Amino acid sequence: MSILDQIYAKAKENPQKVAFPEAANEKMMQAAYEAGRDGYIVPILVGNAERLKALCAERGYDPAAFTFVDMDDEAYKSKVVAAYVAREDTLLKEKALRRRIQDPLYYAMAMQKVGEASVTFAGIDNTTGDVLLAGQMMIGLQPGISTVSSIGLCDIPGFQGSEGSLLAIGDSAVCTNPTPEQLADIGISACETVKSLLDWEPRCAFVCYSTLGSGQGELIDKVTEAVKIAQEKRPDLLIDGEFQFDAAISPQVAAKKVKRESKVAGRANVIIWPDLNVGNVGVKLIQQFGHADAYGPMLQGFNAVVCDCSRGAPVSEIKGNIIISAVRAAGMNR
Amino acid sequence: MDRKELEQKILELVAVAYKKDIADLSLSTSFKNDLQGASVQMVALVAEIENETDASITLQDAAACQTIEDLVNAVEAEL
Repeated sequence: MSILDQIYAKAKENPQKVAFPEAANEKMMQAAYEAGRDGYIVPILVGNAERLKALCAERGYDPAAFTFVDMDDEAYKSKVVAAYVAREDTLLKEKALRRRIQDPLYYAMAMQKVGEASVTFAGIDNTTGDVLLAGQMMIGLQPGISTVSSIGLCDIPGFQGSEGSLLAIGDSAVCTNPTPEQLADIGISACETVKSLLDWEPRCAFVCYSTLGSGQGELIDKVTEAVKIAQEKRPDLLIDGEFQFDAAISPQVAAKKVKRESKVAGRANVIIWPDLNVGNVGVKLIQQFGHADAYGPMLQGFNAVVCDCSRGAPVSEIKGNIIISAVRAAGMNR
Repeated sequence: MDRKELEQKILELVAVAYKKDIADLSLSTSFKNDLQGASVQMVALVAEIENETDASITLQDAAACQTIEDLVNAVEAEL
């Protein structure tokens, strides 16, 4: 059973409510419909319910597969607003909130914040920046986490790592040039993401061009500082470094290069790149030379699951990302 | 709210969002060079501006402000 099949099976065991603020979009509606019809999620379409129902009929979808939330339904809106402003961990007061939730993206996230949905899924009509900013304002970041970031999950044919052919890598998409504090938070968030999605015990390696002092320089200093911060913040997690990539994932190389006890070296299942240059090149190398399937990017660091999909993504990929998000949400709620 | 009141209000909100003493802030304070905040602090600041004034400023516009004075101008334009 492939990793995606395993994730799909988990989604079916506990379907989560997913809010779609861009449901009028044809690809988004189809992906939401298929994921709902097949029992992976409970799709909630947010917008003008009458128009959404008409589009649904026009496109030949059974409306019974969806829950419709009409943004003009004052009673429901007031219920969401009251629940939102009553929370201590929200930023907006009622007047400002009512202004913001005229935008479906913000409306969906307000619903998510008050428990009416487990995931907000967007990114077709809104840019990544729109989704990230709305997420920070409406959902907020995890306590102690200073930055939004992302990880991807690579399924690499022929790779025999500590999780078989799978390796989680981050951040290859969001945080351009993280400070040591931000890099530490990326590693911590990545550990939480793989725990919630895959039930792994994360073994997280911070990589660069040096293994435990074999090289010197400011690029390495940033990584060693990040490892120290992450270890201090979360001593319960297996986080280690700095390692070269091969020392992180290969037991043979680790045996030669890592001359101290490490539960991570040679068996890392989560790799943290030092910056986005490395992350972007790294994931392309894995895809091009390793012929890997790369799933994600999965946004992390938020208090709940916020998902941004690629505008050019085909329906099958959108559907996959919806289901992955739902499983993460179920994992976070456990 | 006149310009002076708005300037004072924004300085107060910046001080809270960035955990600074208001005495250390001025209109020429630079977000990037002097405050060095993360985006999460700018988000909190924009939310507080929306709560405390009737301005609905976009996060992108706020993030584009170099100084506190730029932010005051952006908020004033929305009032």
